[in-house]
Order: sequence, then C-alpha cells, then structure tokens
Amino acid sequence: MADMQAVWLTGLLAGMTTLLLAPLATPLAWWLARSPSSLRPIIEAVVALPLVLPPTVLGFYLLVLLNPGSPMGAFWVSITGASLTFSFSGLVFASLVYSLPFMVQPLHTAFRAVPAATLEAAATLGASSRDQLLNVALPLSRRGFLTGAILTFAHTVGEFGVVLMMGGNIPGETRVLSIAIYEHVETLNYDAAHVLALGLLCFSFISLWVVYGVAGQRVEVLRG
Amino acid sequence: MSPCLVIEGRLTRPRFTLDLALDVNLGHSVGVMGATGAGKTTLLRVIAGLEPHFAGRIQFGEETWSQAGQTDLVPTHRRGLGVVFQDSRLLPGRTVQENFDFAIKRAHRRASAVANDSIITGLHLEHLLAARVEGLSGGERQRVAVARALFTRPQLLLMDEPLSANDMAQRRQMTERLSEWVAADGVPLIYVSHAHDELLQLTSQVLILDHGRVTGQGEIDALRDAVGSAEQLSADYSMSNRATESRRVVRSRPVVLAKDPERGIATLQWRESEKSLLQSISSGDTLAVEAVADSSRLGASLQPEPDEYEGQAD
Repeated sequence: MADMQAVWLTGLLAGMTTLLLAPLATPLAWWLARSPSSLRPIIEAVVALPLVLPPTVLGFYLLVLLNPGSPMGAFWVSITGASLTFSFSGLVFASLVYSLPFMVQPLHTAFRAVPAATLEAAATLGASSRDQLLNVALPLSRRGFLTGAILTFAHTVGEFGVVLMMGGNIPGETRVLSIAIYEHVETLNYDAAHVLALGLLCFSFISLWVVYGVAGQRVEVLRG
Repeated sequence: MSPCLVIEGRLTRPRFTLDLALDVNLGHSVGVMGATGAGKTTLLRVIAGLEPHFAGRIQFGEETWSQAGQTDLVPTHRRGLGVVFQDSRLLPGRTVQENFDFAIKRAHRRASAVANDSIITGLHLEHLLAARVEGLSGGERQRVAVARALFTRPQLLLMDEPLSANDMAQRRQMTERLSEWVAADGVPLIYVSHAHDELLQLTSQVLILDHGRVTGQGEIDALRDAVGSAEQLSADYSMSNRATESRRVVRSRPVVLAKDPERGIATLQWRESEKSLLQSISSGDTLAVEAVADSSRLGASLQPEPDEYEGQAD
C-alpha cells in the first residue's frame, strides 16, 4: 500500500513537473535558439548546470534558498501558509530546476532546426516574433516537445538526491519511488526493492526507446 | 500622391558592401537589374528589414522604417510588404491553402480590387490547394509564393526572380496577369529579374546595380535605348547554374550580338562588369546557356529546347 502511494506520488510529481516545465522552457529555448545576445552562453551554462552538478549540491542550495528562514522561503510561507522544504510543493519546485535542461535542450535543438528562411518568410507575411514562435516554430517542433516531455517525465521519476535533500522521506508527501527503494534496501527488504527497481528499469528503458524512435523519425522528416 | 522610397546607408559584409543613396518615386513600378552578386537580392532584403546590420535610413512615404542606430524602427511584420523570395520559401508541413490562410489572416489591409479567387485561377493553382507544399514543382512553388504575397494585400510588393522556374509560355502569361493585378490594386512593385521582357512589361523605371552601388536609374525606355534594340534585349541570356559534370558552372547575362541559325553559332558579348567571369571561360569549354527572356527570335536550330541550348565556347 505504501509502495503504491509512492508510485502515485512519483507519477504526480513527474506529471506536474512536465506540464509546468513545457510552457516555462519554451520561451527560454526560443530565446537561446534565436538570440544573438552575448549573455546566451552564460544562460546556456546555467540551464545545463543540473546535468553536471551532484544532485546533493543542487539539493543543498535549494534547501538553503527555500527554507522558511530565507527571504524566498518566508515569502512562500506568507502567501501559502506552508513551507517549501519537506513538502510536495518543494519537490515540484526542485524538480523544475533539476529537470530544466531535459526540457530545454530538445526544444532548443528543435527550434534551431527551423530554417531562418522560413521565419523570414513568416515575418514578411505579417507574423511578429511571438507569432512566428507560436504558429510557425511550434508546429514544426512537435517531436522536440515529445522528446522533451518524455525525458523530463522519466528524469523526474528517477530523481533521488535532490528529492532526499529537499523533501526527506515523508510517506504520502515526499516519499517517491527512489526514496522507497532506498528505504527497502536500508531495511534489508530486498524483495520489495526488486519489484520497484525492476519497474523503474523497465519504465526507463521504454522511455528511452520511445525517445530514440522519435529522434529517428525526426531525422527522416528533415531529410525529406 | 505616390509614396517615395528613400534609402541611404550601407551594409558591410566580409566580401561585399551595399552602399545605397536612393530616392525612388513608387508611383511607377521599379525594375532592378544587375549582374549576379551586384546586390539585387540584398537590396530587397534591406527594404524588407531582414538585414539587421544595415546602417542607415529607410523612409517609405511618411513612415520611417529604419534610421541610424534603430534598424527595426518598423519591424518587418509591420511594414505591410508582400515579398516573393527567389527560393519561394513556402511554410513547410502545410498545404497550399494553409499557406494562403496564413497570409490572408495577417493581411495588411482587407480591401482589394483583385479577388483572391481570380488570383488562384489566374495562376492555375485551383487544383493544388489541398496539396502539401513539399510535393510541388519549382514552378508551382513560385506561383504559390506570388499568390501568397498578393494575399497579404501589401502596400509594397518586392519580387525577386519570381517566375524563373516556370516555362516561357507560363512566364509570359503570369507576367501579363501580374501586370493587370498590380495596376488594378495600385500597389507599387519592385521587381528583380534578369528577364528584360518581364521588366519591360511590369515596370516603368529601372535601377541598375553594380558591385553594391546604384550605377543607373531612369525610365525603362531609356534602358531600352541604352542597351540596344528591342531584339537585342529579348535575346539577353543567363548562363545556367544547373551544371552537370560535363557543363561549366557560370551565371551571366551575355548579349547576343549575332546569330547564325544555319550553322548553329551565336556570338555573345559580356558587359564590362562581367569581364572577370568571362576570363574563367576558355575556348572549347562546354557551356549550358539558358534563355531567361524571350528567345523565339534566335532561330529554331539554336534551341534544342524552347529556352535552353548547349554549345562550345570558341
């Protein structure tokens, strides 16, 4: 029963992270793909940081930044009455940061593949920059969105370090699958750990299989 | 009162500089001529606001589109343009109708003397409306691009070799239609082409560009007198850039000085500005020459195909 709760909570966390990240990452990826700004490499590096930082480092800084004693944490408490740390809301926030590159990078790649000539043509037809993004680039970047959504969902499902630092292990609140597996191993309940670990392994494999399938089709479309 | 287009400024690239000081009355449509690389396409891109590094002023009537330090004072999408690019640039992944809808939805104005249906019929596009643009031929793509530009109901039309992929008969027909529509709608047109017969029919002024500078500007009739007789104009050629391994890749506009249909020999003369290109052609080279203007006066024996022949340089 507790494990099923962890499965549900993990799905909810991954689903919310994916749905929230898509609209947040889209303008950022568009800006990174089109802007000539000299700030672009710096922003790209910041976005990619979660790929190379140990999750515990990211979790530690998020804990420092968002605890109720910090300005941001205190502000959150003042408007919601609840703390961001050791709560599901805090996990969502941390996941948005941690999974950001997994949504931004496929979108960035997809947007860069939209020919500048096509966007110029759209501009001469009366499309503003926002119009070009929404009505020209987005329809041509559907596969980039699908890839980003699958990678973000799968990556959030597999989170451990950041979740442990920000959320701890509160059943029904922050105890997601990876934490449940860790707890089963700690209590030497290897059978239960096996079931959850095998489930995650299969899920991860299928996710990547779909992503590579999508990527393969995309290459063919571009060649066509 | 007809709007004036004033352009003063410069665009500098590593191996090319466009240096403009232009004042054109757009009461009459304008033809733009010049050798390959003279800056014709770049001039249209500057007017369209697609060259962010252009430093200078662009004034269209009362509107200042660009001035020193502010190249996008009026951004491209608000200039009310209808642009036909040389490579058509249809929106991919859509049908012809969806491309039209994109333009119609964002049209600069609603009223027009020319109905959309008559444009579609006039350009022979009615059977292609449901077709995806990826499946169209080069000529069809160009005709769709011309229709789409007209559907934006522009205040200024910019066309860059818009009919070059169509055969001679179609081009003649399209040029006539285009001439009627532009006149009926009162839209100023700036038309880039190597085909003098198109320029003569569609425009009444001409600009001549050479190495990024305007070297001539005047009435189209003056051009006719300057270059030669009407027959020489219609026998003006472009060397094909559709090279195969056995053919030279050159693009130029030699004038046919003399022709001998019985022996299958034509004597071509290149302009002074194209002499460097001429130096790359050696005696005995196999050349593919494509007529971009009316070549009917050349004689049948020079034309294995209606608008193209092949031969050796003497």
